[in-house]
Amino acid sequence: MIPLSIHNPLALLALSLALFAAGGFASLLCGRNDARAIRIAGLSGALGGLSGLVAGLFALAGPATSFSATGPFPFAHFVLRLDPLAGLLVAVISALALVGSIYGLAYVREYAGRGVAAMGFFMNVFIASMLLVVTSDNAFWFLIFFEMISLASYFLVIFDQEREAVSAGFLYFVVAHAGSVLIMAAFFLMANATGSFDFAAFRSAHIPEPVASIAFVLGLLGFGAKAGVIPLHVWLPRAHPAAPSHASALMSGVMIKIGVFGIVKVAVDLLGASGGPLWWGLLVLAVGAVSSVLGVIYALAEHDIKKLLAYHSVENIGIILLGVGVGMVGLSMNQPVLAALGFMAGFYHLVNHAVFKGLLFLCAGSVIFRLHTKSMDHMGGLSRQMPWTAVSFLIGALAISAIPPLNGFVSEWFTYQSLFRAARDGEWAVRVAAPVAAVALALTGALAVMCFVKAYGVIFSGPARHHHHDVKEVPSPMRVGMALLALACVALGLASPWVAPVIGHVASATAGLPDVVLAQGAVTVPGDAGQALLSTPVIAVMLLAMGVLPVLIKAILSGHGRPASRRGAAPWAAGYLPDSHMPITAGSFAQPIRMFFRPLYSVRDQLAARWNGVEHGFDDLTAAARRAEPRWDVEVIDPVVAGTQKLGEKLQVIQGGDFRIYCLYIIAALVVLLALVIR
Amino acid sequence: MLPDLPHLALAGFQATALLAAAPLVSGFARVMRAKMHNRQGPGLLQDYRDIVKLMQRQEVWPPDSGWVFKAMPMLVMAVLLVIATGTPIFTLAPPIHVMGDLVLSIYLYALARFFLSLSGIDSGSSFAGIGASRELTVGVLVEPTMLLSLFVAALLAGSTDEGAIATAIANGHMQSAGAAVLAGLAFAFGVYVELGKLPYDMAEAEQELQEGPLTEYSGPSLALLKWALALKQTLVVGWFVGLFLPFGASADLSIDGVFNGALAFALKALVIFAIVGVLSNAVARVRFRFTPRHSWAGVGVASLAFVFYLVGV
Repeated sequence: MIPLSIHNPLALLALSLALFAAGGFASLLCGRNDARAIRIAGLSGALGGLSGLVAGLFALAGPATSFSATGPFPFAHFVLRLDPLAGLLVAVISALALVGSIYGLAYVREYAGRGVAAMGFFMNVFIASMLLVVTSDNAFWFLIFFEMISLASYFLVIFDQEREAVSAGFLYFVVAHAGSVLIMAAFFLMANATGSFDFAAFRSAHIPEPVASIAFVLGLLGFGAKAGVIPLHVWLPRAHPAAPSHASALMSGVMIKIGVFGIVKVAVDLLGASGGPLWWGLLVLAVGAVSSVLGVIYALAEHDIKKLLAYHSVENIGIILLGVGVGMVGLSMNQPVLAALGFMAGFYHLVNHAVFKGLLFLCAGSVIFRLHTKSMDHMGGLSRQMPWTAVSFLIGALAISAIPPLNGFVSEWFTYQSLFRAARDGEWAVRVAAPVAAVALALTGALAVMCFVKAYGVIFSGPARHHHHDVKEVPSPMRVGMALLALACVALGLASPWVAPVIGHVASATAGLPDVVLAQGAVTVPGDAGQALLSTPVIAVMLLAMGVLPVLIKAILSGHGRPASRRGAAPWAAGYLPDSHMPITAGSFAQPIRMFFRPLYSVRDQLAARWNGVEHGFDDLTAAARRAEPRWDVEVIDPVVAGTQKLGEKLQVIQGGDFRIYCLYIIAALVVLLALVIR
Repeated sequence: MLPDLPHLALAGFQATALLAAAPLVSGFARVMRAKMHNRQGPGLLQDYRDIVKLMQRQEVWPPDSGWVFKAMPMLVMAVLLVIATGTPIFTLAPPIHVMGDLVLSIYLYALARFFLSLSGIDSGSSFAGIGASRELTVGVLVEPTMLLSLFVAALLAGSTDEGAIATAIANGHMQSAGAAVLAGLAFAFGVYVELGKLPYDMAEAEQELQEGPLTEYSGPSLALLKWALALKQTLVVGWFVGLFLPFGASADLSIDGVFNGALAFALKALVIFAIVGVLSNAVARVRFRFTPRHSWAGVGVASLAFVFYLVGV
């Protein structure tokens, strides 16, 4: 029984789950009353998110609290466990749910008349099942809730009912289930070795080596598919853009983090007692490096704003896995500081990515809300009409490009520092791998800058390339949603000396290590101050202070008698008449990268060709259904009809049309009847 | 660890001294160019006169430009000044210790590059847009070289603090000298590309792209921007000199020491810019599509430095 008090995070979590469930069903009951459904789903989501956020934040400091019930199945106890890592995930999921629900209050009106009630239901179920997955402490229930996530999000992906959305949804459905089969296999291996489905049993057992490694690889593949690591990412850039934008924000911002959470859960929490060999960490590191570079390269070539953001999710999952990989390497080399630093970097980036990716998807949603297109080539010049959205997007773009002093930079800095430490103190294989990963991260950073200059520039700057003359800023709930996340980007960056130790504690508690020094006053340090120092508050102050100097120079030196500034007629086009096709587009901006990295793009085409089989599977299925339906006609209905007709034709022989024959029939019938009676 | 007054004073001195000297650097390049063309050419102080002249002119904004275009010159100059407070140039330690991390330096340059390129798109000019794209592409191509060479130097010094690297090299506390030299060479290549001089004059390619992101600027904004770009050239050379040739830099904060450090930097910068002047005027522009060949060579040298570090040569 859970004592209901504010100090018990599990009680708050239960409250939050109840709110999501109640809101979801209430929204479904609204039926065709769209306005009420939107209000109920949005408000219940916001309240549930708020209470979940508080629960998660309370759980960060630990110790773990748990709740156990027998449940309907004798073989599987229903156990919820809120440890610091689960608390971190609960906080992130709830924060995004809170913001997404506020945003949805206005955004979902775009979908009015297309089953809004169901959308509210699926959103709430989706969020609640994510909360349950990260807290459930039993393999059976974990899998149940994991399936619920896939199902609820599947319905959100196919919400538009367009051909592309349905086909993307099918691909997603197949990959998600293939992933859960692998995860199931991993859990069964562990259950087989321990004789129980409880994570507690996995945690304490020592699983022998080949079994543990097989379980780890199965888990990595299964959760990797959920996280969207390359080459299991194919569903992600198609499914995430198809969903409504606040659902995309949740899918890209938090759902794929469940994949990372699962990898950490399997490798560190469940199999931690068995102690993973070095190659586990190196494998994760390699997957991270490949995903980060390829993810951003593919993002650069996109014209569709939501696809671009989805590919960036692949990139950022890669960056998170770099940190996690270093942590696992540190664990197996028995270097607690390195391990804690690596996990901390990964978790920090996990939180940051949720915030800025959520923000960017919401901003993209706002633009789509007004322009009704996802193609960046039909946007442009929106910063004048949509200043709030533009500034929010710019903050998100700077954060995801790891520009100091925002949050993305801080977590990437910690990732670099963990890689540096691994390269300095590690074993030989690690000393080779870590700098390679650092170069991959540098390349990723530079490409991300390019990609987001392109995204912001092509959407919000320069001349307008759309034909809507009455574009306005979005309604206030959407602005509030974006502003909250933009503020979080700034706060998580500037307050890094205070945030880092909290996340560091989560990392240490997860891996069962002592806490590491991550901050001294307003300065963040990676374990020891001799290795490096960073102070985001000082950077911010310096930027503000140094910003004064050029303004002063301009004010003092520029002549007061000079003519007033004016707007010119058109940009200089080397004497040609400027025309609207001249300014740079999303495609031409990224053209050099497409030229220089052509081999990597052909890798994608190869991969896509392999995966096309799955999509063809969908087409084959519909085609088969289309063939099966007439077959019923051909093989059952048609023979019956034809047989009846044939019978009729046969019977026509006796109907000659001559009345004398009919008289003969009557006489014959009379004779037969008389004969019967007389006998 | 937070900066105290003497360090803040040093930071302010270093930033303003470099800012004040920046037009001298670009003026020197013009003098060198004229000498190599056998021309009379402008005087050494011509760029100061140009800035003053431009400051008196009218500003003309392109019709579609927004606040990014207007704010960019000031933003870029501010970011570069911030970098100047964290790079060890006159002294062995960075003036502000917490600003002296090599990852931070790289990403602060990325911040400047972000807005420089964004203004190119914001101007609505096709030349500026292509210049912006190229500026970022060049960044993509040299960043691996710069990070890997600095990473090797940091591994040799045991810290990613630029002050620690400079001190280790100045004192010769390096496990493998070969790795340090190769890392220095690779970093020098990266810095040369960052200078934006021929043969790697990509983004502002005057004959090809009408000076790229600068195309649409005029009046005081153009003056500030030209000044900021000259400051960037001074600063990246200072970065290289400060880390890999820190000889003569002051080990303490005494006024004499800092003054001598500044003088030593001026001499080293003079030699380096003379070499750069000869090099850049002796070659033609690399075709843009062939730049990756050069940049991969840079990565190759940096990787070699890394291998040298691994085997301890």
